[in-house]
This record gives sequence, C-alpha cells and structure tokens, in this order.
Amino acid sequence: MDVSVTFTLNGKQVTVKAPAAKSLLRALREDLNITSVKPGCEAGECGACTVLMDGKAVTSCLIMISQVEGHQIVTAEGLIKDGQMDPLQQAFIEEGASQCGYCTPGFIMSAKGLLIEKPNPNENEILDAISGNICRCGAYPRIVNAIKKVGGEQE
Amino acid sequence: MNYSQYNVHSPQTLNEALGILKEKSSEVRLIAGGTDVMVQIKDGLVKERELLNLSYLNDLKYIKEDGNEIRIGALTTYKELEDSTLINQYAPIISDASKTIGAIQIQNLGTIAGNLGNASPAGDSIPPLYVLNARVKLQNMESERVIPVNEFFLGPRKTKRLPDELITEITIEKVKAGSNYFFKKLGLREANAISIVNVACIAELDQEKNVNSIKLALGAVAPTVIRAVKAETLVTGKQLDLKVIDEVARTVSEEISPISDIRGSAEYRRRAAYGLVYEGLYELLVGTAKKVGGKLSGEY
Repeated sequence: MDVSVTFTLNGKQVTVKAPAAKSLLRALREDLNITSVKPGCEAGECGACTVLMDGKAVTSCLIMISQVEGHQIVTAEGLIKDGQMDPLQQAFIEEGASQCGYCTPGFIMSAKGLLIEKPNPNENEILDAISGNICRCGAYPRIVNAIKKVGGEQE
Repeated sequence: MNYSQYNVHSPQTLNEALGILKEKSSEVRLIAGGTDVMVQIKDGLVKERELLNLSYLNDLKYIKEDGNEIRIGALTTYKELEDSTLINQYAPIISDASKTIGAIQIQNLGTIAGNLGNASPAGDSIPPLYVLNARVKLQNMESERVIPVNEFFLGPRKTKRLPDELITEITIEKVKAGSNYFFKKLGLREANAISIVNVACIAELDQEKNVNSIKLALGAVAPTVIRAVKAETLVTGKQLDLKVIDEVARTVSEEISPISDIRGSAEYRRRAAYGLVYEGLYELLVGTAKKVGGKLSGEY
C-alpha cells in the first residue's frame, strides 16, 4: 500500500508517494532523485547510505519512508550552499580521500553528524564516528585526515 | 524486494497503538527503530503483512529518576542512553554496552524495547539489564503487568509479550556508588558486530578485595541471556586472587550452554566466556575496573 509522506529534504519541504514499507534509501534514490545515498549492504553494516535525520547520522536503509513524516533529512546534496561545497566536501577533495568514491557521501554524512555534536573531535572520536562506514579501497587514513582538517582538535 | 505487500500503521499515541494491536494482534509486526525489522523485510523474512510503526510515540521516549530506580521509556535510543547523565551516574554499564551496539548510525535508531522485543540471545543491552534487576512493563488496552527481565525471555526470538501487548517501560535499580562494573563483548569487528559472547558484571568489593556481592550475566551462550549463578555463589564472600578468578571463569564456562553457529563454535564460546570473565575479574583485582559514581539517596 502507498503512503504520502511529507518531510524536509535538504532544507525544502517535499511530499513523496511510495510503498509504506519502502526504505528511505530507496525512496531517496528512486522517487526523489537523490543519488548520493548509495545502496551497499542494505543491512546497516556498510554506512554507504548514511544521511542526517534531525542532525544525527543514520543509515537510510534501516528507516521506512513511513517513519520520516515531519523529520529533517539532509544528504550530501544538501551540504552545498549557494554553489559552495561544505568544508568537509572540500577537504575530502583536497586530501584525495576517495578512490572509487562509492563510500564517500556516507563518510561525509557520518563526519558531518560528528561535527554537529562535537565541532573539535579528537582522533578517537573521529574513528568512532566513522566506524560504521566501510571503504573497500582502504582510503581510511586520508578520510581521517580530511575530517581532521575541518574539525580536528588543534594541536 | 516487494515493499508494496505491506500495510503500515503509524499511530501518534500509545492508546491508538494499543487499539490497533487489540484489533490485529498476531497479524501485526512491530517496528520501532527498525534496525532489525528492516533487514528482515529486505531478506523476505517478515511474514506479517501489517506493520505497526511505533516511531511517532514520543511519550515513550524518556529517562526519569524515581527514588532509587530509573525508568526508561521503551523507545529510548541507545544514543540517548549513552548521553544520559542519570544513566552515566547510576547505571553506566548500560551506557558502556550501548556504545558497543552497531555503530553510531544504529545507536541513533535502535531502541531499548526493540532490543528486548527482538529477543536475540546476543542482544547487547540485555546482560546489563539482568545485572540491574530490570523490570519490563507490558501494556494492552485493558491492563498492564510487570515482569522481571530474567523471566521475560522464553528462548531465541520468544518472549512473554502477548500479541496485544506493547513493552512500554523498563525500570532499573540504581547501582550503589563505588560498585565495580564491566561490560565486555567479543565480536568480529569493533563496530557493527553481533556478539559471539558478551558479559555484564556488577560487583561490590571491600579494600581487601573480598567480594561482598556480585552479579554476572552472559549473552549468546544459551537460548536466552543467563545469570552465571554457580559462579556468583562460588565467588561471593571470597577474596579475589588469580586462583579464585581462574576458578570462577572456569565455572562460568561450564555452566553456560552455547551452540555452534556461523559466528563461533560452542567450544570457542566456552573459551571466550572464560577469557572475558577472567579479564573482567582481573581488572577488579588490580583496581583498573570502572566504578559507579552516583550516590543513592540517603547515602553519603
């Protein structure tokens, strides 16, 4: 059965009509043209579909579209303001923090969630915040460097 | 996957939710944080065609002090437990365990009642609830009842919750200030790992390391989480030393009844349980174990 769900997506109110049990991940990709969220494991283990819900990092594969009524969802697309990339996005480019790039939006959203809660995290807090994201190319050191560049504890 | 076969009810109040349950009872699958149910939907394992989405029941999201107890609303997330001053003061073992569940994305979604209702023998919040003498409140349209957590589970994925009932609250006892505690988990990676064995312990020791009281609970080593009663009895009143610790850990490894599955063999689980208990008790002996900070009312 379809439901009609209204929520805030990247700052704009949207209404989507979709099967009630559809995952937010699939609704974003298939019904709302948001393709930065990647289907990886679709079981909450790889983090490639991470988005912010009300400012907190969550795996969009584990949320039903029926559960987002009235919530605020932000994806990597929503981090770009007036054509300007978010400092995190800029830092990922400068540090070369992706190889194939598939995991990148998920990592950036996990990092964003961390920086909202703790603007100057230490290394352990950074590692903890991205522990639910997997990069199969193994770009972890550069990913950590990119996050440190934006929010890392000043030495 | 065919999402269209499901009908989702999204009640806004507890009463509305209980009404739907009364009408549909066993035809309905409950979904709170969704961290397990959504995976089961993807894998085609959810046979019910009606889903009851509990995520809008904001009245069930709270952590409240009530004398020497703490009341936790059913839909409180792991992250909220981790961040709670009350929990960190009086029952930090829950906070420690919550930090090991999934990763931050899961901790932001998963709920304490979801972990209980899902009834996995490996659920990481459950051993801490056993050692905190937690009670589970169940409500239906007409009445409510309270069950001690160690009587709540009937087996893997089976609980005493009746089809028309909802878990609405979990009550825990505050732990005496100065008590030692540990939560240890063995998984295949640090994040997003299902426990092969987990263990929760709260113990009161005196200056000479005599064990005045101890509670030990283990997960993933029996059809439900269990208290290691033989080991607790053995060590209570004794002075901890390496020989006693070895004996207690050995008793634990013998009194559990693990199975072999994809995550580990029964024999491996017995050894792992020995190791985790030995390590935890060793920390109590050498004084590096964590201590509960908050004082109970009337305590100075």
